[in-house]
Amino acid sequence: MMWSWIPGNGSLIWQLTQENIYLGVVPALYGLIISLPLGIFAARWRWFYPPVLTVTNILYAVPSLALFIALIPSLGLTNTNVVVALTVYSVCVILPNVVAGLRSVPDNVRQAATAMGYRPLRRLVTVELPLAFPVIIGGLRVGVVSGISLASVGQLIGVSSLGYLFVDGEQRDFPTEIYVGLVLVIALALACDLVLVAIRRAVTPWLRERRGSAVPVLAAAGEGAAPESTLEAVS
Amino acid sequence: MITFERVTKRYPDGTVAVHALDLDVPAGQTMVLVGPSGCGKTTSLRMINRLTEPSEGRILLDGRDVRDQDPALLRRGIGYVIQQAGLFPHRTVQDNIATVPVLVGTRRSAARARAREMLALVGLDQELATRYPHQLSGGQQQRVGVARALAADPPVLLMDEPFSAVDPLVRSSLQDELIALQAQLHKTIVLVTHDIEEAIKVGDRIALFHPHGTIAQVGTPERLLGAPADSYVADFVGFDRGIRRLSFVAAGGLPLDGGPLLDAATTVEQARAQATGQAWLLVTADGRPAGWVPAERLADLPANLPLGQVPTEGFGHSFTVGTDSLRVALDAAVLSPAGLAIGVDGDGRVLGLASFDDLRAAITAASKQDAARQREAAAGAMPGQDEAVPGERDEAVPEEVVSQDQEDSQPTSSAGAAP
Repeated sequence: MMWSWIPGNGSLIWQLTQENIYLGVVPALYGLIISLPLGIFAARWRWFYPPVLTVTNILYAVPSLALFIALIPSLGLTNTNVVVALTVYSVCVILPNVVAGLRSVPDNVRQAATAMGYRPLRRLVTVELPLAFPVIIGGLRVGVVSGISLASVGQLIGVSSLGYLFVDGEQRDFPTEIYVGLVLVIALALACDLVLVAIRRAVTPWLRERRGSAVPVLAAAGEGAAPESTLEAVS
Repeated sequence: MITFERVTKRYPDGTVAVHALDLDVPAGQTMVLVGPSGCGKTTSLRMINRLTEPSEGRILLDGRDVRDQDPALLRRGIGYVIQQAGLFPHRTVQDNIATVPVLVGTRRSAARARAREMLALVGLDQELATRYPHQLSGGQQQRVGVARALAADPPVLLMDEPFSAVDPLVRSSLQDELIALQAQLHKTIVLVTHDIEEAIKVGDRIALFHPHGTIAQVGTPERLLGAPADSYVADFVGFDRGIRRLSFVAAGGLPLDGGPLLDAATTVEQARAQATGQAWLLVTADGRPAGWVPAERLADLPANLPLGQVPTEGFGHSFTVGTDSLRVALDAAVLSPAGLAIGVDGDGRVLGLASFDDLRAAITAASKQDAARQREAAAGAMPGQDEAVPGERDEAVPEEVVSQDQEDSQPTSSAGAAP
């Protein structure tokens, strides 16, 4: 471990970190934007969900490097290539949570809203989505964390991120660089996750001081899966 | 006024939930739909605010077919209370209550002020306004549900098994509050329940459903108990309907005897002199009943002992002449060691005693009066049947006709006299 390398390359590390944040967060947000209408549609028209789930599961099984390469003919060796690929992955993890979140809205609450005189769109926006929010944000957390770690793979097609430190460190047989990259990726993932948890707590005051678990099972499972996928992608 | 005209609900799989239902819900009254599960009572309720659409027939709300109205606007004008309250978990109590006012465009601050008024109306503390539903008990949630349904002051209130998810004590007090609230607000209420006791307690009128979506009988609680249309109704209302029916007969007409009433200051000697031929003496203090003394006990006591110091037997309870029902009086007689019911005035002072013979006479008189009224009403209503109850053609007709005639006397006794 060569500590002096770090201050000497501060600006490089900072730039790579910013690029990595961009590649981790932006695709997850695009994923959320795409997943919301798809999930709303799938929650309402049940026949729509199984085929969509099959497609997203197959896409999720495609290795990230293979997907980057597959996109080269149309998008080239660009940031866009990586953003598109990572958006696909984030849809795969966020969409099921949108559907599960909407389905977790108690039936009597939905009924009550209808009976009070809500029209469907207003009911969706002011009753169903707020109640589904904790589960949806559970999916977003997995999407952001896996996006941050998968972004480093983009380095292999030349798209800059903290992945640069792995590739460069390996080529120069310089472990310090690899360790710094590893720590930063994990720290970044944790930081983004904490921000999302803070957002969830801020916008769901009704879940505070509640006995037992308020967030349905799928979100808990998603949260559990997050660190796992981080390690997988990094190794 | 809500009118069902030959309403049928048939599901795509062929199940008929409601079959050719004709029913009038008079304005300002509580109509209870009661029956076993799967009898179509909830479906009938849900067709009023178009949560379910009928397959045939139509439902008129103040003369307008509900299907000619925008469902969302229709529903904002109809209060709805759902089983287990169905409150919005993500909104505070006051915002839950303010739901419909906000939907119809009331400013949020005004809607919240209204919500706080509603809290008071349903007997909840103002400090609950900013709590979330999960922080309330089941009974409190149900009250908030009622407050939410009433917040926009709709003329019609639909209640779907509103009290079935709370424990019996809370249920009973919620029922009492509903009765009190209704006496104040005069909403047109349709309440669905599977509990015939609840129906009898809160209903001005009851529609009892057969298991498969037809009505067995419509009428006042008293009619269902006193003159069930068939054995199905008789079984459904329960085996002790004869006694329960007495809840609807005022004890005011009960003859009261003077009887062996002695003040607590009377001495044993004086009592012996006055009590000849009596097995029991009622000791009173300041005019109020203190307890029964068996006459034979006087023999062994010092002559100058005041009756107030003689050990007495409890008298169970008394009945208030003028407000209590014959059922209460009968119960008082059954519980009394002397077999005499003590009639008291509003201050609890003894007015007189009623024996089993008096009670039997009163019950017989009430039954005769009832039967006469029934004949009279049936005879009087026959020619004018069409205008009295348009569209009524099945077995519910006689009940419908009779009860219309009795309407003026019923609501007060059903609301006030139940023990």
